[in-house]
Amino acid sequence: MKAPIALALAFILYPFVFSNAFYLDIGVALLLAAISASAWNIVGGYAGQVSVGHCMFFGAGAYLPLLVYHHWQLPPVVGVPLGIIVSLVLAVIVGMPTFRLTGHYFSMATIAVAELIRLVIGTWDFAGAAIGLQGPAVGRGWWDLTFRGELPYYFIFLAVLIVLLLVISTIERTRFGYYLRAIKAGERAARSLGVPVRRTKLYALMLSAAFTSIAGSLYSIKTGFIDPESGFGILVSVQMVIIAALGGAGTLYGPLVGALILIPLQTATNTWFGGGGTGLTYILYGGIIVLIARFEPGGLHEMWHRIAPKFGKRHAA
Amino acid sequence: MLLSAENVSKTFGSLRAVAGANLAIDEGEIIGLIGPNGAGKSTFFNCLAGDTLPTTGRIVFDGRDVTRASPEEHAELGVGRTFQVPATFEDLTVLDNVMVGAFLRHPHRGAAREHALQVLDLVGLGDRQNLRARSLGTPGRKRLEIARVLATGPRLMLLDEALAGLTPVELQQAIALVKKIHQTGVTLVIVEHIMEVIMTLAARVIVFNQGHVIAQGKPADVVRQEAVIEAYLGRGHRNWRKKD
Ligand SMILES: Nc1ncnc2c1ncn2[C@@H]1O[C@H](COP(=O)(O)OP(=O)(O)OP(=O)(O)O)[C@@H](O)[C@H]1O
Ligand SMILES: [Mg+2]
Repeated sequence: MKAPIALALAFILYPFVFSNAFYLDIGVALLLAAISASAWNIVGGYAGQVSVGHCMFFGAGAYLPLLVYHHWQLPPVVGVPLGIIVSLVLAVIVGMPTFRLTGHYFSMATIAVAELIRLVIGTWDFAGAAIGLQGPAVGRGWWDLTFRGELPYYFIFLAVLIVLLLVISTIERTRFGYYLRAIKAGERAARSLGVPVRRTKLYALMLSAAFTSIAGSLYSIKTGFIDPESGFGILVSVQMVIIAALGGAGTLYGPLVGALILIPLQTATNTWFGGGGTGLTYILYGGIIVLIARFEPGGLHEMWHRIAPKFGKRHAA
Repeated sequence: MLLSAENVSKTFGSLRAVAGANLAIDEGEIIGLIGPNGAGKSTFFNCLAGDTLPTTGRIVFDGRDVTRASPEEHAELGVGRTFQVPATFEDLTVLDNVMVGAFLRHPHRGAAREHALQVLDLVGLGDRQNLRARSLGTPGRKRLEIARVLATGPRLMLLDEALAGLTPVELQQAIALVKKIHQTGVTLVIVEHIMEVIMTLAARVIVFNQGHVIAQGKPADVVRQEAVIEAYLGRGHRNWRKKD
C-alpha cells in the first residue's frame, strides 16, 4: 500500500510548498469537501441510497458549535458532539420510515426534510434567522480549536479525513461493508441471503450523518460564521453527491479524487469569472452531472479501470 | 415435516396467482414443482420464502409459523431460494457474491471467505472467483445463485428454474450438482419446465395449475394423469414436448 502513503505525504507537504493564503485556502476547502463527500459515500455510494439532503447533517454540525458559543459562551468544540447527536436523531427520523419502502422515497425525503430545516432555521431568531451566527472573533488556541491562521485547520482537516478513510477501508473488509454493497446491487436478493437490509441502511446513514456533522462543525469553527445557505443550502448536498459521483461513488478514494478535481475547478471558474456568486456553481455542477450521467456513470474510478488496461498498466482489482 | 403450506393464496388485484395451494415437504425430499406458464409457481415460491405476504393461508417451517416472516428471517431459519431471473450482484465478484451469503453463518471475513471458496469449488466456479458476476452469462449466474444460497447454509432450497437455458453438458453437470447438494442433507423443491430434470431428480412431483396443486405423486405416474395433460396441452403449452 504505497500509494496511500505517498498521497498522505503529498497532502502533508502541500502547505509548505504552496504556503500562500490562496493555495492554503484551496487546500482547506478541498479537504473539507473530501471529508463531506467521503461521509456521504458511506450511505450514498456503498449502500446506493442516494441522499440529496445531506446538508441537514452538515448544517446541524455547523450550527451547534456556534449556537453554544453564541448563547452560552461555551467553546465551539462543545457543539461538535451535540451536532453529532442531532444528526443521528435526524438520520433516524428520515431513515426509519423511508428505508421500509423501495424506490426513491429516501432521496425525496432527504430533500424535503433538508429544505424544511433550512426554511425553519432561516426564520428562527434563536439560530440567527437569515443572518446566521458568528463564532469567536479571535483565535483562542488548541483547547477549543479556534485559530487565527489556516494552517492548523489544514492539518486538523487532514487528520479527520485520514481517520474517516481508515474507518471506511476497515468497513470495506467487514460483513457490514459487504452487506452495504449487496444492498446497492440488489435489495431483494440481499434479503433472500439474510442481509438485514433496513437495519444495515439505517446504520450506514447514521454513520454517514455523524461524519457529515463533523465536517459541518469543522467548517463553522474554521470560518467562524454560519448562515442557512452555507449550512443547509441545497448546494451543500449537491456538492457531496457530485464530488463522490465524479471520482467514483462507492469507492474508497472516489470522493477524494472528485474533490481534487472539482474544488480547484470551482475556485478557478469563480476567480476567472469574477466569482459572481452561485450562478456559475450551478452551471458547473449541472455540466458535471450531465457528463457523468451521459458518459461515465461509474465516475472516474470506472473510467480508469476501463482505460488503464489498454495502456498496459497494471492496476489493482 | 419440514415445511407445510396450508391453503395459501396470493391475489394481485382480481388475479388469483396462487389459489388455495397446499404442500407438505418432508426433510430430505427432492420435490419437482411443475406447471404451465403463469400457473403461479414463482409466486408460490415467493410466499414460501417470505418475499410475498400471502393473502390467505399459513406456512409452517420446522414447527414455526413463518407466514409473515421476512425474507431475511427465512434465510436465518434455513429457507434459501434462487430467482427465476438471476439476481446476482452484477458488479461484485463471484467470490464476493458468495461471501455475502456466507456471512450469514460466518460473521468474520476470514471464515466467510474460506466457506465461500469451499462452496465455489463444490459448484465448479472456483476458477472464476475473481470475475465480476455480470461477465458470467446466464448459466454461470444461475450457478452462482445456487452457490450463494448454498453458502447461507439452508435446510430447504427452493430452485426456480435454476437449470433452465443450459446446454446438454451443463445440464448434466447441474443435475449432478443438485444431487451433491441433496446428499449433504439439503431438502429441495425444484421448479423446472425441462421434464428430464424432473424425471431424473425428483422422487415426488407436484403439478400446479391456476394457482393450486392439481396432481402429485411419482413422476412417471403424474405425467400420465388426464388433468395434467389437459393443463398443459389444453393451453397449448410450449414446453411440454421439450423433453431433451
Ligand atoms: N407482482 C405481480 N403483480 C401482478 N401480477 C403478477 C405478479 N407476479 C406474478 N403475477 C401474475 O401471477 C400469475 C402467476 O405468475 P408466476 O410467475 O407465479 O407463474 P409461474 O408459474 O412461475 O410461471 P412461469 O412458468 O412462466 O415462470 C401470472 O399471471 C403473472 O402474470
Ligand atoms: Mg416462474
